Amino acid sequence: MFRHTSLRFWTLGLIAALAIWRALTAEYFGVETVTEIAILAILVIALDMVAGFGGMVSLCHGALMGAGAYAYAMLTVKAGLAPPMAFAGAVAVTGAASWLIGAVCGRSHGIYFIMATLAFGQMAYSLVFEQPIFGGDDGISGVPRIDLTIIGLDLNDGRTFAFVSLAVLGAVYWFATHVLQAGLGRSLTGIMHNEQRMRALGVNVWRIKADMFGLSGMIAAAAGALAAQHVMFVSPGLLNWTVSGEALVVVILGGLGTIIGPVIGAIVFVLLKHEVSAHTDYWHLVVGLILIAVVMSRANGIFGWLEQRLSRLARPVPARDVIANQVRKDLAAKGSLEDA
Amino acid sequence: MLETRNLSKSFGAINVTRDVSLKLERGERRVILGPNGAGKTTLFNQLVGEIRPDKGRVVLAGEDVTALPVQGRAKLGLSRSYQKNTLFDGLTVEENLGLAASVTHGHWHNIRYDSLTRRDVRDTVREVAEQVRVMPYLHAQVSDVSYGVRRQLEVGVALATRPLVLLMDEPTSGVGPEMSAGFHDLLNDLPRDLTLLIIEHDMDLAFAVADTITVLNYGEVVFDGSPEDARDSKLLKDIYLGAWEDA
Ligand SMILES: Nc1ncnc2c1ncn2[C@@H]1O[C@H](COP(=O)(O)OP(=O)(O)OP(=O)(O)O)[C@@H](O)[C@H]1O
Ligand SMILES: [Mg+2]
Repeated sequence: MFRHTSLRFWTLGLIAALAIWRALTAEYFGVETVTEIAILAILVIALDMVAGFGGMVSLCHGALMGAGAYAYAMLTVKAGLAPPMAFAGAVAVTGAASWLIGAVCGRSHGIYFIMATLAFGQMAYSLVFEQPIFGGDDGISGVPRIDLTIIGLDLNDGRTFAFVSLAVLGAVYWFATHVLQAGLGRSLTGIMHNEQRMRALGVNVWRIKADMFGLSGMIAAAAGALAAQHVMFVSPGLLNWTVSGEALVVVILGGLGTIIGPVIGAIVFVLLKHEVSAHTDYWHLVVGLILIAVVMSRANGIFGWLEQRLSRLARPVPARDVIANQVRKDLAAKGSLEDA
Repeated sequence: MLETRNLSKSFGAINVTRDVSLKLERGERRVILGPNGAGKTTLFNQLVGEIRPDKGRVVLAGEDVTALPVQGRAKLGLSRSYQKNTLFDGLTVEENLGLAASVTHGHWHNIRYDSLTRRDVRDTVREVAEQVRVMPYLHAQVSDVSYGVRRQLEVGVALATRPLVLLMDEPTSGVGPEMSAGFHDLLNDLPRDLTLLIIEHDMDLAFAVADTITVLNYGEVVFDGSPEDARDSKLLKDIYLGAWEDA
């Protein structure tokens, strides 16, 4: 169940401060990196919503992001729609598609769910790759950025684009945590813990799963539409399943089911990629080794490790451990109930 | 209130439910007795829709619900607890009850507000926590409380949907005699208009709370009547009470 903790707030504040400082002061390459991290962070928040709170480990989130990017590119370049409309359209279309994917795949569990989502992702990939209208291997170039000059923002400026990406990330973080604490998110967590019981309570399990998957797909699409504007072109590689795999790696690296953890994961992943690939072509090897170390450490990713270290800050209010201890003492005093 | 007509189910060659016809009136408290493997839990599973019967009907509040899925029957007011705890283990006692109560009050699907902090949900959680005596443990994680408390919570989660008909599958299974006596009070304090169907191995408890008793043996109803008649029944002694008196 999603709970706000002081550790979460402190981490969030620290990340926000660092990001703003980098976006303000960094040179060209540093600013681009901020944007890259922000976009990846949006994608992995979307994935963590369903994987970490619903046990729906999706291998099609890369494809959903790609679908958002392509939808935005098609609607602007081919259909000539105004970029803001195209952005909304891309989010809506991809959201509807992911709702369907969630409704279909939500009936399966575990490895079968993973395979079903992978199949959907691969279908999207081959569709984009083989239909001439999508530009095939070449993709679509000349994708415009949204014009925000009315409010005094020139998105063609890299620094401004980085700030807008960070703003979108902030909005997405707020939205995701809000939904996870609303009835829908609570029910989804209940389903992850005990699907049979939720059904017996009268919950339409598939509907909860489909709705959350739809919302998650909308967020992934927003990441895609941002990415398309960032590099100003789209290519089929965006929908490759390895993107989904990488997103999953980032989520696990940062901490599954923590929302803030995947954001940390995105920072570490991108920085590592840039640092290590400057020295060697085998940067995947390094990331792989780090991932193995994280998984073997038995902490829930980087944020999970922080939570263990700083457990006093990681306690939700009211501190449930204190009460649980009190309860244990009461029980011991009474001595009437023993554990079976 | 709840009725079955010629319900039958077999797993392979074994007939687990044979032509079971039951009728519970509103507010009736019926106890189901029967030896291990008699098909009691399987009957519950068919009543709530977790298993489809091969033959026969289930009627809830005058409505044929045989084709209705589990959640549909739950929405009509049918609720159950499980023989083996089926709780949300990683969550607190309060969150367990809250999840059930947010379904009751229709908050299970909104994306605007926290269902667990709603006034109506909190009131229901409080009431049910008092009903099943888990008030002191509200903020404890389910995995931190004793087995007995989890047993009470198991019934509490079922109660928090504010059902018309409540099915309880051996609420006292695995708890000591003291806790069993506690369950007697707990059951007595439940509202009188709630229809109860209870599978129970503890004979004292069974005879103390039952208006009527049904005995299942090899999937078949072999006795259906008042607790007084049940005590006198020769058949019942042969197949069941013998074992009980030995115990
Ligand atoms: N899904 C299943 N597949 C095959 N056989 C089953 C299944 N479920 C139950 N059975 C069998 O059906 C019979 C009745 O089981 P059931 O659990 O309904 O008995 P019960 O009366 O609840 O027993 P107990 O008092 O031990 O809880 C048993 O022989 C059991 O092994
Ligand atoms: Mg049973």
